[in-house]
Amino acid sequence: MGFPAMSHQTRLLIRGGFFFTGWLMACLASAAPIMDFVPPPAGSYRLERIQPASEGAVLDADGRRRRLSEFTQGRVTLLAFMYSSCADPNGCPYALTVMHMVKSELEKLPETRGRVRFVSLSFDPVRDTPQTLALYGRDHSGAGQHLAWDFLTTRSRRELLPILNGFGQDVGVDIDKATGKPVGTYSHVLKVFLIDRQRTVREIYTTDYLLPAMVLNDIKTLLIEEGVRLK
Amino acid sequence: MKNAMHIKNPARKIALTIAVSAALAGTPAFADETSCSPYTPLIKGQEDLVYVWTLGVKGVGDGSDKLVTVDVNPKSKTYGKVIHKLSLGGRGEVHHVGLSDDRRYLWGGALDSNKIYIFDIGTNPAKPKLTKTITDFVQKTGYVGPHSFIAMPGRMLITPLSNNKDHGGETGVVVYNNKGDYVGHHAMPKEHGGDGYGYDAGINPQKNVFLTSSFTGWNNYMMDLGKMVKDGEAMKRFGNTSVMWDLKTMKPLKVFQTPGAPLEVRWSWKAGDNWAVTTTALTSKIWVYKQDAKGEWQVKDVATIGDPAKIPLPVDISITADGRGMWINTFMDGTTRYWDMSDPMKPKETFTKQIGSQVNMVSQSFDGKRVYFTTSLLGNWDKKGKDDEQFLKMYNWDGKDLKLAFEIDFYKAKLGRAHHMKFQARDLSTLKPLDMASSLPALLAQKQ
Repeated sequence: MGFPAMSHQTRLLIRGGFFFTGWLMACLASAAPIMDFVPPPAGSYRLERIQPASEGAVLDADGRRRRLSEFTQGRVTLLAFMYSSCADPNGCPYALTVMHMVKSELEKLPETRGRVRFVSLSFDPVRDTPQTLALYGRDHSGAGQHLAWDFLTTRSRRELLPILNGFGQDVGVDIDKATGKPVGTYSHVLKVFLIDRQRTVREIYTTDYLLPAMVLNDIKTLLIEEGVRLK
Repeated sequence: MKNAMHIKNPARKIALTIAVSAALAGTPAFADETSCSPYTPLIKGQEDLVYVWTLGVKGVGDGSDKLVTVDVNPKSKTYGKVIHKLSLGGRGEVHHVGLSDDRRYLWGGALDSNKIYIFDIGTNPAKPKLTKTITDFVQKTGYVGPHSFIAMPGRMLITPLSNNKDHGGETGVVVYNNKGDYVGHHAMPKEHGGDGYGYDAGINPQKNVFLTSSFTGWNNYMMDLGKMVKDGEAMKRFGNTSVMWDLKTMKPLKVFQTPGAPLEVRWSWKAGDNWAVTTTALTSKIWVYKQDAKGEWQVKDVATIGDPAKIPLPVDISITADGRGMWINTFMDGTTRYWDMSDPMKPKETFTKQIGSQVNMVSQSFDGKRVYFTTSLLGNWDKKGKDDEQFLKMYNWDGKDLKLAFEIDFYKAKLGRAHHMKFQARDLSTLKPLDMASSLPALLAQKQ
């Protein structure tokens, strides 16, 4: 499995005007798990049915109010929570990088066309507006990119929290101890959710478990379970 | 599958060993920061709180099992004091606890009632709140005695000790999701030398494996110990195996012969080490698991703890975060022993200290500078009379000596039998991932 160049994300972030320098520095210092094993072949194992996918109201990149279930059923879905100013090397940048790697590999497999979707849902409804997230999404619709990747946000924290609770995704607003005011970052355990066509969570990845080759094989395993013949 | 090491007729040896001792034997325990799941964020600085899973004793306080919270931050005004206790309103042989993958919840099991309690320790860590009691464990799995709780992403791996058919030692591994709903279970192998017994589990994500150990069933762990050691048939019913599993597929890879009840499982967290260790309670051995040149997992008996003829009974262990040292408690003599694990294949005992008339559990902080001890094994296995000390003691460790910082007498405080411990921080934003890591650029460059 060959991975796409960093420039793909770099261009995206520069265009978005985000905290590119901090993000890049975070990536360079990032701690990714070691995979010192050969992953079991896709389809040779069964993924457990862990829990139902969460539901709630979201905003798409065009600002339209949608149900999250519109993005988590009918296709195998890889969903991660993120926020655009996250600079935690073990957090959002790492998840985005892994997702880019897996996306690149899936797009080499024509059988996956129309059967897999990625979703990034923001922790930060205040700063991550649909317009902001549209800048992310724009980079995923070019020639040769058939895998849908939706960047979603919510109208408010009040609408976000039930979704987080449903998935079991923790989050805390970081506070400046001197001023008592939010510093603009969020504490959370990185979690990425693999969801089947019936909206059941079949795998959950955290930092020490989020390995591109494993995620790819898990997605293929769910596709094989559906009867898709992968070459 | 190959048997790594073998002692002829271990059950007979165990029975004989126990029988020659008039003393009472003990069982297992595990705890501490380095015993956390690799998926649980860690306290790498000063821990603020320690939770003690405490067995109720008739006539002591309200007589009920409880979760006791102790303030252990030396800067606090209530340092070394019990600041909260949450009574469960009954006794069910509570035993071990485990932290969730986000450290916001603590799961605690009861070996007799088979209940599993989920406490919210994130909203207000100093005042845990019971949020759910799982009562369908036996119904869903057919297993009895939920023992270890090891967090996996979004779920909890649970290792029971027994089963509901004959209350013997055959059992399995169980998965519940973080909401406390049943997900699935897998039987311990009885093929390729497996005896089907279970006890603890330790996960190594880098190798996509987890290792399980084995102990004994409900018939034994609920029996009075003095009676059990005189029962030759009962003494045959201890686990003698450990099993390496594929973590992704949840299928056994290899069964090892590790006679004499291999208990706590720990992986070295030093990046690249990839070896695991256990000790056998009844044969007093240290065993190390490591891959050979061909990548096949092997186990080796690398050392003897104390004088096996005197039945020291190794129980809980606590490995340092860098994998270079390990505390081993021996219950019968109430002693803790520090082993230099710099060369895990040739460990050496370098320090010993008696902690009390009996000692079971040991928990060390991530930096290894603070070491906590508690006393209880099982309600029917603890020593009797004046030797039945029940305490939490905390020592400072400077690499040469243990110096007592504080102690709490759990009988005088009307609490009960002090068993399993877990640490917590008051500010969860200070938690750090384990980070057994390489760099992201290296990941980007690698070919899979």
